Amino acid sequence: MIINRNFIFIFLFFLIQFFSFTTHSVEPEEVLENEKQETRARNISKNIRCMICQNQSIDESNAAIAKDLRILIRNKIKEGNSDKEIYKFLTDRYGDFILLKPPVKLITLMLWLIPFILFIVGVFILFSHNKKSKNNKI
Amino acid sequence: MKKQVLIIPFIFILIILSFFYLLIIDRNPAEIPSQLLNKNYPNFETDLLLKEKKFIASEEFGKGKVLVNFFATWCKPCRDEHIYIKNFSDKNGIKIIGINYKDDPKKAKKWLKKLGNPYSDIPLDKNGSIAIDWGVYGIPETFVINSKGTIKYRHVGPITNEVYKKINFLIEKIQ
Repeated sequence: MIINRNFIFIFLFFLIQFFSFTTHSVEPEEVLENEKQETRARNISKNIRCMICQNQSIDESNAAIAKDLRILIRNKIKEGNSDKEIYKFLTDRYGDFILLKPPVKLITLMLWLIPFILFIVGVFILFSHNKKSKNNKI
Repeated sequence: MKKQVLIIPFIFILIILSFFYLLIIDRNPAEIPSQLLNKNYPNFETDLLLKEKKFIASEEFGKGKVLVNFFATWCKPCRDEHIYIKNFSDKNGIKIIGINYKDDPKKAKKWLKKLGNPYSDIPLDKNGSIAIDWGVYGIPETFVINSKGTIKYRHVGPITNEVYKKINFLIEKIQ
């Protein structure tokens, strides 16, 4: 019986986790009729940070400002603005912080390079450690 | 070989030190610096809460020092900072514009009647588009604009005694 109950809990946990990946907050009235335009709007929204709930994109957030920004992006797409123009409009007002993926700039260079540097250091350490082990065996 | 092994604790210590450095330096991750600092005010045109005419920003800014305050009756911190906004309005040489953000005009009129109206004009931001243009993400927010129409200061959140002193000092200093 206990095993069954545990199993149900684990099953429910994974079920909730599964659906949490697919949630988004776009409301039906916001959706554009043109599918291509809507896809563009969704893709931009997924990369725009909600400034209130900072680790969520505006696509996922229920905050009022996130909704305003989603509507603004859709209006700009309807007006014929390119993705680049929309990103520029937003970063001109909120800075690069509004982008969930920081752009590669001199100031963010370390952010992009550190994982590669650590990887190389890791490989180097691994390699020298292996070499040492081999020598010891001999 | 010894030198190579020393790299590991060195990197580890460096990461820990950077972590502690970020902890102790004076920074608030919730506060995002304004992109509009030292730039011209974003222009807008909208209805006014208490007057039957349009508010045209270009006719109001750039003639003297202006304090712009985004507020709403449904925002509790706006009520808390209202006393400081009133104190600013008592000072000479600065015009106070209160942008009423996504609010019910009836409630706003009642609110101002009860708490007092420190604003010389109250433009309405019915759908939040003016706020987005100003890079606002959470109200209340306050901006100080010099007589050339350049934004010199921005504060996110309610004005506290400390912020009040800071803004006062700035108003005296700027042209």
